[in-house]
Amino acid sequence: MRAISVVLWGCLFFVAAAASAAQPLRVGMELSYPPFEMTDPQGRPTGVSVKIAEALGRHLGRDVVVENVAFDGLIPALKTGKIDCIISSMTATKERSRSIAFSEPYLKTGLALLVGKDSPVQSAADLDVAGRAITVKKGTTGHHYASTTLKRARLLVLDKESAAVMEVAQGKADAFIYDSLSVFQNHKRHPGTTRALLRPFREETWAVGLRPGDAQFREQINTFLKEFRAAGGFEKLGDEFLPEEKAAFRAQGIPFYFE
Amino acid sequence: MPRWLAHVIVVLLFAALLAVAFSRVNYAWNWTGVWEYREKLLQGFGVTVALSVASLVASTLIGMLAALLLGSTNTLLEAVGRVYVELIRGTPLLVQLLIGFYVVASAVGLENRYVVGVLLLSLFSGAYMADIFRGGLAAIPQTQRDSARAIGLTPWQSFRLVILPQAIRLVLPAVAGQFVSLIKDSSLLSVIAVAEFTLAAQEVNAFTYSTLESYLPLAAGYLLLTLPLSAVSRLLERRYRYEA
Repeated sequence: MRAISVVLWGCLFFVAAAASAAQPLRVGMELSYPPFEMTDPQGRPTGVSVKIAEALGRHLGRDVVVENVAFDGLIPALKTGKIDCIISSMTATKERSRSIAFSEPYLKTGLALLVGKDSPVQSAADLDVAGRAITVKKGTTGHHYASTTLKRARLLVLDKESAAVMEVAQGKADAFIYDSLSVFQNHKRHPGTTRALLRPFREETWAVGLRPGDAQFREQINTFLKEFRAAGGFEKLGDEFLPEEKAAFRAQGIPFYFE
Repeated sequence: MPRWLAHVIVVLLFAALLAVAFSRVNYAWNWTGVWEYREKLLQGFGVTVALSVASLVASTLIGMLAALLLGSTNTLLEAVGRVYVELIRGTPLLVQLLIGFYVVASAVGLENRYVVGVLLLSLFSGAYMADIFRGGLAAIPQTQRDSARAIGLTPWQSFRLVILPQAIRLVLPAVAGQFVSLIKDSSLLSVIAVAEFTLAAQEVNAFTYSTLESYLPLAAGYLLLTLPLSAVSRLLERRYRYEA
């Protein structure tokens, strides 16, 4: 009996050791934010963040597994150890920093407005009026901004970006608050019913989310980001996934992403 | 052993089981964040109560109407009832809400998302009610109707005094179950931005990153609504028993 249990424990130990040696890097992201996080027609994850995750894996010498997690479930997944880091166009905010750690920022963007064609709204300040309706995607920085800063307006919280856009396009809401790139793309999809106010009224930076204890891991990621930027990796991703947006933003003099 | 004592013991057992499970995950509890948002949770709870009450009434009416259609001898009316029931029961509520609100309600100019939400939820639940009611009426043996006629009751009197009391007793447990489902299904109204209880909890989770602390009050809140419903249903069942 004892011999069997010793063998069993030995096996267990061996399996555990082998697993930790070859453990892949589990990167959490919500695959519903093209072109950053999306799936190709075969259902495989792709997009800017996936490319960054793969480059990070090469840098660390580990395999990468992309875990598709709903955006507001990413931080709980990280905290409970279901994933090792978050690369999901996540803004490094003060509130989130109380819960998790962030790498150095890798991208700069800002909040912008998708406004209904007939709405009189010209700026974010115009929205802080009783009777205005704002849509946001649940758990985003736009959601947080609207609920803390634009208190006089009616706030409509939606699960899906597409529903939030539809509310504005149908004139049910005055504006949708999201990052300037998404606003640009959604306006292109509904050119007849919406206007895009692209100039960011609040700047934000995106970073890789980590567990607070992983100081060494954080250093490794920061080193990787620095090297990746120096090697022109971000520039190349911008040309590959966002050529049109890059040109449009440059033409309007609005600071663009990876710069 | 009295029944209430048995209930208390079973509840305590379940609570102990849960407590052990929670203690094993070593979860770092943080209730302060959620406490800051208590007003939001309470508002959401209030909206869910209002939605539930309105939908309970409306879905019962719709269910009765549809049950009449299903039992109709007119083939066209019967077909209308059947298509409605099968169409609603066979498709996801999520799809009904999205199409109902963004396409159908928009087309007819209904803009209030709370009104549309109650309507869609009632139509959904009404389809299930319809079959429950139809089944209850069909389960009353023909001899009852014949006897009622034999003692000189008019059709309306026979329905009100003979058929209905027996049918109510038969359908009560199923209706109570359907009501409980309806209350929980109201959480899906968040997809058309109705600020109900589940959405409030999800928002609090998104702001505080305290998942379990946001969702445990949610579970408690729904129980607070569904438990009295079950109790009332059992009370009515006893009242409509043969002996009474």
